[in-house]
Amino acid sequence: MTNTRHYEGNPQKNSPALGATLAYLGVNGLLALLHGSQGCSSFIRLQLSRHYKEPIPLNSTALLEDSVIFGGWEHLKKGIAVAADKYKPQIIGVMSTGLTETFGDDMVSALSSLRSERPDLDDLPVVLASTPDYIGSMQEGYQRTVEALITTLAEHPTKTSEQPVSNSGAYSIEDHDLTIALLPGCHLTPGDVDELKEIIRQFGFRPITIPDLSISLDGHAELEAAPVVQGGTLLEDFRRLANAKACLSFGLSMEKSGEILKRTYEIPHFNFPSLTGLNVTDAFVLTLAKISGKPIPEKLLRQRSRLLDTLADYHDQLGGLKIAIALEMDLLYSLASCLVEVGSEIMVALAASQAGIHKLSLPIPIGVGDLETLEERAGKSTLIIANSNGRQAAGLLKLPHLRAGLPVFDRAGYPQKCWIGYEGTQQFLFDTLNSVS
Amino acid sequence: MFTNLTKLDLKDKQCMSDAGSPKLCMKALPGEGAERSCAYDGARVVLMPITDVAHLVHGPIACAGNSWDNRGARSSGSQLFRRGLTTDIMENDVIYGGEKKLKESILEIALRHNPKAIFVYATCVSSLIGDDVDKICKEAEVELTIPVIAVNCPGFLGDKNIGNRIAGEVLFDRVIGTAEGPNEKIPLSINLIGEYNIAGDIWGVIPDLKNLGITLQTAITGDAKFDDIRSAHKASLNVLICSKSLTNLVRKMEISYGIPFMEGSFYGIHDTSETLVNIAKALGDPDLLERTLVYVRKKEDETRKIIAGYKTLLENKQAILFTGGVKTWSMVSTLAELGINILAGGTQNSTPEDFQRMKELMDPSAQIIEDTSSAGFLKIIAEKKPDLIVAGGKTKYLAHKTRTPFLDINHGRKLPYAGYQGMVTFAETLTRTVLSPVWGLLKQEFPPKESEQDD
Ligand code: SF4
Repeated sequence: MTNTRHYEGNPQKNSPALGATLAYLGVNGLLALLHGSQGCSSFIRLQLSRHYKEPIPLNSTALLEDSVIFGGWEHLKKGIAVAADKYKPQIIGVMSTGLTETFGDDMVSALSSLRSERPDLDDLPVVLASTPDYIGSMQEGYQRTVEALITTLAEHPTKTSEQPVSNSGAYSIEDHDLTIALLPGCHLTPGDVDELKEIIRQFGFRPITIPDLSISLDGHAELEAAPVVQGGTLLEDFRRLANAKACLSFGLSMEKSGEILKRTYEIPHFNFPSLTGLNVTDAFVLTLAKISGKPIPEKLLRQRSRLLDTLADYHDQLGGLKIAIALEMDLLYSLASCLVEVGSEIMVALAASQAGIHKLSLPIPIGVGDLETLEERAGKSTLIIANSNGRQAAGLLKLPHLRAGLPVFDRAGYPQKCWIGYEGTQQFLFDTLNSVS
Repeated sequence: MFTNLTKLDLKDKQCMSDAGSPKLCMKALPGEGAERSCAYDGARVVLMPITDVAHLVHGPIACAGNSWDNRGARSSGSQLFRRGLTTDIMENDVIYGGEKKLKESILEIALRHNPKAIFVYATCVSSLIGDDVDKICKEAEVELTIPVIAVNCPGFLGDKNIGNRIAGEVLFDRVIGTAEGPNEKIPLSINLIGEYNIAGDIWGVIPDLKNLGITLQTAITGDAKFDDIRSAHKASLNVLICSKSLTNLVRKMEISYGIPFMEGSFYGIHDTSETLVNIAKALGDPDLLERTLVYVRKKEDETRKIIAGYKTLLENKQAILFTGGVKTWSMVSTLAELGINILAGGTQNSTPEDFQRMKELMDPSAQIIEDTSSAGFLKIIAEKKPDLIVAGGKTKYLAHKTRTPFLDINHGRKLPYAGYQGMVTFAETLTRTVLSPVWGLLKQEFPPKESEQDD
């Protein structure tokens, strides 16, 4: 699998700052501020908004030629101050770009300089995520941002008198036993995250989800449009993390964030690289049973047995599938390993970037590649799994194309779709089969 | 440092003092939430609809990765322009420079995709690390048989308008007039300037031009072929469609090739007719003018007859208009044609001239939207409670939160609205939107109040 090309043709990668935006969009009351020029933020807004069919609040420090010569420090300070004054967010989440990282803007000292000039902003938490465009893809940006969120917000002093932790104002010992921290990777849709929380609740747990796209980007009509994120993880949830009984992270990219929580609060951490497929869901459910000390709920067993029935009914068709897949690593691994589990053949597997590529094993080689490579190698497959941009390859090769990843703009309902757990795995297999017939 | 801005005829522009007018010379404030784009985006918007060339973005994944193939410009032939090509600058390139990678990429793309030419876009990071895109393009050109054209448009130079102008310069300097063969003018031929064939708009206009005996040399740039643009200097007239962002180009073509230019719009019955008649006048052929006058009258009657039903349904609806470029003013008259009143209007990415024109066309009581951020936009909707919002895709989902009928007229749309045929499509779509039963469902109170439950 050698790639001798020097250019990307039909890239499947999104910028790391887009991943950062996504992570920020799962935190309530947060205003995301991109430290860079306007084009970057405008492309991110457009890309996310055509995927989620939602307005995407994202602000920028609007760098121009002068700041490129003299540095963007002042712009960052001004950006935070203006955004704080104008939009009154609970949190400001900053991400850097290739531009600001290249001229080496020191965001930390810019922030501390602002803090000394504007003591009135002392209580405003500001998260700084370093997401240069030339390192990795959406997944890396998301990952770095979740880490920055956890390290910054879990420790930020809170005015508890203003923000009661719950209705009663405090958590009892009992709550301590019930709280579980969930760290979903960016490969999970709002629909997936919803299902994740539902499974956890069946064991009597109360999830704290970071970030929680299932209540901010799930496309519901009740909320008013606003310049800050509505729904998502609450600021006080970050402070409740210390009380969690365990932390569960999903997707290999989320492992490090989980380890940070483990180190900080001495809570057990379990990482699940995938939740699509029978065995991985079994492992997840057994872990929950163990932590909770409760039997596996009837509903889950029922779903499991339905999945088994589906496997029996369609084993032959599933075995006949020859798949070419190009996705970001976590999602690629989840879907491809599920397909391998049911006997399908993976012909081509192309990850968007290097991240995690050697850590997870599939019985097929995974390369790093773009959609032009997919087009070159997918000829002998029966199905292409890729984001909507894969339609050029699929069109040329006259192959069916199952949309996955981001962006998916030409299929209805993708953000609400659930492909995890027993029921979600069943749905994934149905969708796969239906797209080839 | 990177591109000579004064050359682009921008620095000497005065600020428009009028409330809400586009502030070409004003910078967006950091943190303020202005929704503008960058110079690279502006250049790409103009150049990428050249369909048979390769567009290579020299930058990290931010510039090309999030945005390729996201505009609705359609092609009747080659699909090469839709391919996302980028050098995908990585950390090592930032440290050691990306020139070598760029050179290799150009050569590989030429070999693999067989383009008519390659446009290479410099972006923020590649400019900042000092890659000399001009030099590399020249070097590559020596090794290849096709033009390799540098477009110096790093995003930090400014917003979209600046990028549009840079693209105009590039076309003038490197493409137009480079065709081989005789240079004489093609009689009764025109170029459309600033028409991007969004959703196939041009195809709604070409039949009318054909019926009148007018040749479309090329559109700069929509469904454009590289060779046709090379010969654009042979046209007898330039018709400037989208805003003034390519004024620099038509001015230069006038001076160098003696091609006069006029402005026009193909949105709405009135504007389409007026533009066709003005083209006929400008081409100076009395016979053509006579033909055109008869033709447009016939087309107007036909079209008005078809849309009469829609007009009855839409009459006296109140709209808020929020758009940019030519649509700023052209949409005012298009909506008026359907009996729709405009409560308030605002613009982004428009020139002051476009804005002025919009203001003149609107009812004096209509309000100008001054705060063009999302917050300002929402505020005006809450105040005015319009029956309809007409705007670009950027505001679409925001507008939906207000449960107001919304029509996307920008590049995200699927249907062509240009010309007489486009007007019918527009009226149809608008009616479907405004009268859609879903808005009622969205506004229904649930659970219903006690008293209503008893009814
Ligand atoms: S602002 Fe600069 S880095 Fe961002 S998209 Fe535009 S050219 Fe690329």
